[in-house]
Amino acid sequence: MSCRNYGVAQKLPRTENGLRLYTRPDNPPRFVSFRVRPGPVIQSSLNETVSLISEQHPINFYELLGIPETGSLLEMKQAYKKLARKYHPDVSPPGRVEEYTQAFIRVQEAYETLSDPRSREMYDRNIAKGLHLAFRRSEFDEFSTFVTVSLTRLHVYWQEIEEKNEWESQWQSQLSELKRRSMYKDSNDNMSWAARIRRERNES
Amino acid sequence: MTSCGALRSSFFSLLNSHDTSTWLSSSTTTLPSKRQKKFSGSIVAVQQESKPGEKSDIVLNNTNGRITKNLNFSGEKPSTPILDTINYPIHMKNLSLEELEILTDELREELVYTVSKTGGHLSSSLGVAELTVALHHVFNSPEDKIIWDVGHQAYPHKILTGRRSKMGTIRQTFGLAGFPKREESAHDAFGAGHSSTSISAGLGMAVGRDLLGKSNHVISVIGDGAMTAGQAYEALNNAGFLDSNLIVVLNDNKQVSLPTATVDGPAPPVGALSKALSRLQTSSQFRQLRDSTNEITKQSGSPAHELAVKVDSSVSGMAGSPGSCLFEELGIYYIGPVDGHSLVDLVYIFKKIKEMPAAGPVMIHIITEKGKGYPPAEAAADKMHGVVKFDPKTGKQMKSKPETLSYTEYFAKSLVAEAEQDDKIVAIHAAMGGGTGLNIFQKRFPNRTFDVGIAEQHAVTFAAGLATEGLKPFCAIYSSFLQRGYDQVVHDVDLQKLPVRFMMDRAGLVGADGPTHCGAFDTTYMACLPNMVVMAPSDEVELMHMIATAAAIDDRPSCLRYPRGNGIGAPLPPNNKGTPLEVGKGRIIKEGSRVAILGFGTIVQNCLGASDILQEQHGLSITVADARFCKPLDGDLIRKLAQEHEVLITIEEGSIGGFSSHVSHFLCLNGLLDGNLKWRAMVLPDRYIDHGAQSDQIDEAGLSPRHIAATVLSLIGEGKDSLQLLNL
Repeated sequence: MSCRNYGVAQKLPRTENGLRLYTRPDNPPRFVSFRVRPGPVIQSSLNETVSLISEQHPINFYELLGIPETGSLLEMKQAYKKLARKYHPDVSPPGRVEEYTQAFIRVQEAYETLSDPRSREMYDRNIAKGLHLAFRRSEFDEFSTFVTVSLTRLHVYWQEIEEKNEWESQWQSQLSELKRRSMYKDSNDNMSWAARIRRERNES
Repeated sequence: MTSCGALRSSFFSLLNSHDTSTWLSSSTTTLPSKRQKKFSGSIVAVQQESKPGEKSDIVLNNTNGRITKNLNFSGEKPSTPILDTINYPIHMKNLSLEELEILTDELREELVYTVSKTGGHLSSSLGVAELTVALHHVFNSPEDKIIWDVGHQAYPHKILTGRRSKMGTIRQTFGLAGFPKREESAHDAFGAGHSSTSISAGLGMAVGRDLLGKSNHVISVIGDGAMTAGQAYEALNNAGFLDSNLIVVLNDNKQVSLPTATVDGPAPPVGALSKALSRLQTSSQFRQLRDSTNEITKQSGSPAHELAVKVDSSVSGMAGSPGSCLFEELGIYYIGPVDGHSLVDLVYIFKKIKEMPAAGPVMIHIITEKGKGYPPAEAAADKMHGVVKFDPKTGKQMKSKPETLSYTEYFAKSLVAEAEQDDKIVAIHAAMGGGTGLNIFQKRFPNRTFDVGIAEQHAVTFAAGLATEGLKPFCAIYSSFLQRGYDQVVHDVDLQKLPVRFMMDRAGLVGADGPTHCGAFDTTYMACLPNMVVMAPSDEVELMHMIATAAAIDDRPSCLRYPRGNGIGAPLPPNNKGTPLEVGKGRIIKEGSRVAILGFGTIVQNCLGASDILQEQHGLSITVADARFCKPLDGDLIRKLAQEHEVLITIEEGSIGGFSSHVSHFLCLNGLLDGNLKWRAMVLPDRYIDHGAQSDQIDEAGLSPRHIAATVLSLIGEGKDSLQLLNL
């Protein structure tokens, strides 16, 4: 069976629904994927995770990449390239491959989310509205980054569906209000030019 | 694999549950059944893709999360059964919603197929396919007036209003115009090309209808980029006051500039208006996010949850009520946001508004995506706004590689070279970073480039303000768009003698865009201003020198006009840095006898061509001079040419009242016309030249080399030969 030996993956906790969330460590990952792995899950204290990045306990992508929140695309690209070169599994020191790979994956996710203006905007709003604050640093460091990435991605996707439902209820109510208004639009106390003309027309 | 099964089922339940999911909001709005169906379709597809025994990955990509139908973009003529039955909008009345959806798909296929063969504006048309279908289905053009702002998104409109068979000729000589044109069809209610005019025109039509007692509808379609121009607000202000029945569709795709991207990739749109419009979209998202945050924090532990609740309650005050916004305050009833790609919604809303007898001015805010439905356009940084012929399968454009760059690129490189040595140089443009070449400048000097949105008037006065502080502003605005800021040029810049430099690209005839973009009048309106220095280069090297000259002129405004086209291949100065020319001095390019041609601008190349024809075929050697400056004129040069030749021809690619008029005034004031001199002026004719290839337009205008040669011959008395030349 091939779903075994994800050395890195062991460290991540599980969610309420029994989903085990991991990233794929083998090849340099290109996207976030949810994967199932049988066997026991090892809860980690998360202090053992990638020392390099976790030393600074970053709580958001900007800190991860080392750029200010107002950073430009160019700065982001440069920061990403620098970090990617540093943490790529192929150039990592032996023995710390897993940690480096973890770090690499997170840098990758950070860059992908922040480089697309749309998901970056979503992410910024997430931060502004305190989504990050929902997680206590020491215990949910990994999880928070991971979930924020997934949330952001899912949000951008789900936005399509949910947003439109919100919109629909909104414009439905706007339409009924307009209908109501248009009923008494031409009453005698409306003195606008067009109302006067319409009244004259209706009378003649 | 049980594990994979567990994943599938749990994820499936996660995605489809409305009540207890952690990700979805707990709003109980039921999904319209249509969307729900589509949704489960995607999950099923994912499940089928993973083979048993493999790890099941559910991959979510930013761009590929949505469901795209499989449209035929293979390059062959698409099969369009429903579109084939539609010659005029009236044929769309009896179609059902499903058929309308199929029609929209066919319309997209047809668009990509046609534009791939002719070139033109692609992605804006793709973005409004649903809107066009909905409008024509609900309303009755041409009684109901549909006005498209700018007009480059009107290709589907043209297809549906009886011009489908001629779409292969669009933007070509004698073919369809690339923008709506009243002479072309009764369905084109108003000609467009410059932006932000649709609401004004629509209000005019609405008021006219009211005065005449008619009862048709008027619909103006405007984009969020065009909403950055003041005229749109002037119109809304008036519309709110007059209260006439008018429907304004605000097509919001977050594309303000052309392109809304830098050289390196997509950029957020400029301006505070775009942010305001996005807030209208997202005010409801907060509630959803709040709900999902609460779910998650409940799981993660109570202190976090409390904190989240606190954050939530403090922020909730900030989310204002949607709809009560700028437009409402102006008296325009706001409806939105609406999904601009949902035919169901659009048709429903339009039908409802059509029924209301006295709705007053209504604005429907629709959200679309530029280039929707054609993946290469969606992915491109500039969204494939304006394209040449391309391969429909890949979206790769077949751009020919000319030997020389365009004048725009030479301008950008030269300005960068100047700005490297002088840090007071700043560049301003009006939402045309790509077209003016200032995206290249922005890459090098991001803090010294200003994109003000589609606001030429503001750009000019803004530049004037910068000049008062001692900076050296270079205002790069197309010749025909600068017309919009003319009062600011006269009053704010020239009257106060502020050193603003105007770089007028697309001067003269512009080819496929036609008379709406034609820069025929800039010499006329600039050279009549008392303090303005007016120059025009004859090739790219002269362009670089003139940019250096403009940078050096610091006590008065100056302007520089150059055409659409490529350089001639003259050797460039090192590092693209020009040297300033002496102001008011022209040059003689070729010495001859009897006849002198004095050209202003790149038309000098045509004069050289004419002199070659005359040399080879008639053995005549004529003098060709390049005036360089229209203001101040090189008096010595003109005097010399007038005194040493029998015939003087002045030529420019501009309208009457420009360079040739100034020369004529000079000649008569200095008594040079009192002798034996024959003076003739060759200018653009007194009519608008239709769109087509640039060479065709020059021929139509009578300014090609053989026309010039024929004029020369007719003046030195050999009439028969001149006719022969014209027939070449």
